This record gives sequence, structure tokens and C-alpha cells, in this order.
Amino acid sequence: MKSKDQHIQPVFKILFGIYLFFSANLLSAEIEQKQEIQAPVNQLHDTLIHIMETADSSSFQDRYALMESVITNKFNTALISRVVLSRYWKSLDEKTQTDFIALFDRLTISTYVNRFDSFNGESFRNISIEPMKKNRFMVKTELTQIDDKPVSFNYIVQNDNEQWKIISVIANGINDLSLKRAEYSSVIKDKGFDALVTSLEEKISDLQPKTSQ
Amino acid sequence: MTGSHLFNLSKHLIFIGILSIVAGCATTQTSDDVGNVDSLESTNRVFFDVNETLDKHLMKPIAETYVEMTPAVIRTSVTNFFDNLTYLNVILNDFLQGKFDQGLTDILRFTYNSIFGIAGLFDVSTAAGMPANDEDFGQTLAVWGFDSGSYLYIPFLGPNTVRDVTDTVPSTFLNPFFYITSTILYPVSALNAINTRANLLEASNLRDEAAIDPYSFTREAHLQQREFLIYDGNPPVTGYDDIFSDADDEESGGTLVIE
Repeated sequence: MKSKDQHIQPVFKILFGIYLFFSANLLSAEIEQKQEIQAPVNQLHDTLIHIMETADSSSFQDRYALMESVITNKFNTALISRVVLSRYWKSLDEKTQTDFIALFDRLTISTYVNRFDSFNGESFRNISIEPMKKNRFMVKTELTQIDDKPVSFNYIVQNDNEQWKIISVIANGINDLSLKRAEYSSVIKDKGFDALVTSLEEKISDLQPKTSQ
Repeated sequence: MTGSHLFNLSKHLIFIGILSIVAGCATTQTSDDVGNVDSLESTNRVFFDVNETLDKHLMKPIAETYVEMTPAVIRTSVTNFFDNLTYLNVILNDFLQGKFDQGLTDILRFTYNSIFGIAGLFDVSTAAGMPANDEDFGQTLAVWGFDSGSYLYIPFLGPNTVRDVTDTVPSTFLNPFFYITSTILYPVSALNAINTRANLLEASNLRDEAAIDPYSFTREAHLQQREFLIYDGNPPVTGYDDIFSDADDEESGGTLVIE
């Protein structure tokens, strides 16, 4: 006849096995979610490194096309446009809103292609992911440089129709969304929405290469 | 303390006092989006425009010439020298903020650079594992719970806040140059100003490329950069949710439709 201990041991093993099974599944699900949250940031970084590496050998248009694919698919420009225009957004009709989103896309793409135009051994390093409100997450990374201090690049990411997208970029503590919202509000207040659009078109034009590449 | 030192001190105290009174009495003249952070916006914009004009026609061309004519290694040494002179203020504020380990390391950093770095010309401490920290009395007051107060744009000094401008006093007293009465003070101070402007050329060019309203851009970048420093490069994520509050409210009300 088996002792009490001999009955308990198999039961304990089964319970422990069940615990390990569910823990592993939870851990696996957590890792998978983190990878999904990180995905748009990783893709942006891969594209940035690529356009930096090929800046001397490829044309502005080629690099623009690469960035366009990332910006239009991995950034929620509609939400970003809504936030940067704050209370002025509601006063715009649907066509103007759509046009502004397209304009903002062009500005974002041109800015990235213009700024990341040379390669000196830079690389991006993922640091952490922190939860925020409303199912948003802060993805923390840094850009490491050979002869300079690293630059902190943090991204706010939100789920949009089952896809995680970037809604803000924070470089060394400066939130691009807040910066633009303050500027755009000031320009609209003083000169009107059309003046803002004109200014943004001029900026996009200034970011293009002076000679065809 | 000599008469000239008392004069310097009194100038700084009167300046800060006037600013505090002006900031305290100012009516709120802000756009809805900036709230009360820029209650002196109209005055600040005037000072900003004056500063920008002087910078465009005087400081920036001088700084650009200085960069063209001075090898980078010498400019780096000049930067190191003046940064080292201001490091006693960093050390003081390390301790005032309760960062005792950092304070002790910074004492070593200052001593090491002053001796082995030849009066701070060479930053040997960073290579020795003691990188520079950035602390000042404005950050200390923030750690102690003081709000920033109104944004200020001060002629020649640039962007600041009522809280952060108080750093002028300890940073002046703790800078060994404050105690120099020789006429060498003037060309050395000029060199410091030109070198500082030269170090900001890239940032100012970036701003000129990116900004459609340079005043707002400068203000927002400065205020956010200060928050970044106060939290030693790790501000809490909760502060970043506020900008989405309108969009969140509309979404929860079911009225937000963006295609």
C-alpha cells in the first residue's frame, strides 16, 4: 500500500507541470506581444540605417521611396495630424483633413531622408518597452555613435486596427509631436491655416536636393 | 569681498529680483495650447527677435569664422576649459539633490581634469570612467518641488524660466573667473561666448531648417530639454499621455472618425 507521500508526489508533479505549461505560454505570449509592439520601430530603424549607408550611392528619390513605405505603413499619420492641429482639426472639412495628412506624410518623409544622409558606424539599440494609458506603449531605444554620446530615441506606439503604429518620436527628451503642435497652433492663430500649409510646402521644397540626384 | 565683486553680485540679484516681480505681476497672455507656461509671450517675442537679429548679424558670423579658423582639437580644449570652471556648480547641486555618489564622483572628475587635464583643457576624466553630469540650481529647485514658473526669453542669455534663472547666482559665485579682476577677464569672456555660440551652430542650423515658428520651436525644445535634464534623461512616461487627451476623449465618445 502506498504511503501518503507516495500519493502526493505524482499529483505535485502534475500540478507543477501544468503551472510550467501555462507560464511558458504566458511568457511566450508576452514576448510575442513585445515583438509586435517593437516591430514598427525596428522597421524604421532598419530603413534609416539602410538609407544612411546608401546615401552616397543612391538618389534622393530612391531613399524617399524607401522611407515613404515605412512612414505610410508604420506611422499613424492621421492621428498625428489630428493631434498637431489640436482644436483646429475639427474646423477643417474632410478633404482638407485628408490633404493635410498627405502633406504631413511628405514633410515627415523628406525630413528623415534629408537628416539621415550619411553613415558613420551608427546603430540603434533597443532598451525597454513601458506601458502608457489607453494601450499605448513607450518603446525606448538609443542611437549609438562612434565618436559621440548616444542619442535617446523613444517612440510612442499605439494599436490601430490590429497593427501597432508609431504616433510620436521623442529624441533626447524632445517630443516632436509637442513641438509641432506648439508651432502649428502659433502659426494658425497668427496667420491662418492656409499660411501653415504654405509654410509646410516651403519646408518640403527646402528639404529637396538642390540638384537632381 | 572686493568692491567689484559686490557690484557683480548686486547686478545679478537685482536682475533676478526684477524678473521675479515682472513674472509675478504679469497677466496671462497665452494661447490656449501653451497655458500659463508663457505668460510673458509678447515681451519674450520682442527679446527673441532682438536676439535673433544680433545673432544673425554679429554672433553667428563671428562664430562661423572662429570655427573655420580654429582646429577642432583646440575648440574642444576651450570648451573643456570653460566647462571645468563651471563644474563646482554641478558638484554643489549634486549634493543639494541628494545625489551623494554622483557628487563624490564629480569631485574626483573636477580634480582629475584640473590636475591631469591641465586646468581642464583635456577631459581625461571621461576616459577614466567619470563622464560629465549636467546639474544646476534650477534642476535642484525642480527636484525640491518648485514649478518652473513662466518661460522667459532673456536678451543675450536666451531661453530660461523664472525658476531656472536663479542658477545665475550660485553658478556665478562658484566660477573661479568671478574672482578675477584683471583686464584679461574681458577677452577670455568674449572667447567663452564665441566658443559657446560655435558649439550651438549645428543646433541652430537644425532649428532654422525645421522650424516654421522659430520662437515656439525654441521655447518648446528648451522646456522639454529641461524636463529631460531634471529627470537625468529618464522622464516618466505618464507625462506624454496628456497630448492625446482630446483624441482619447473623442474616441471614448465614439465621435472620432479619421479615415
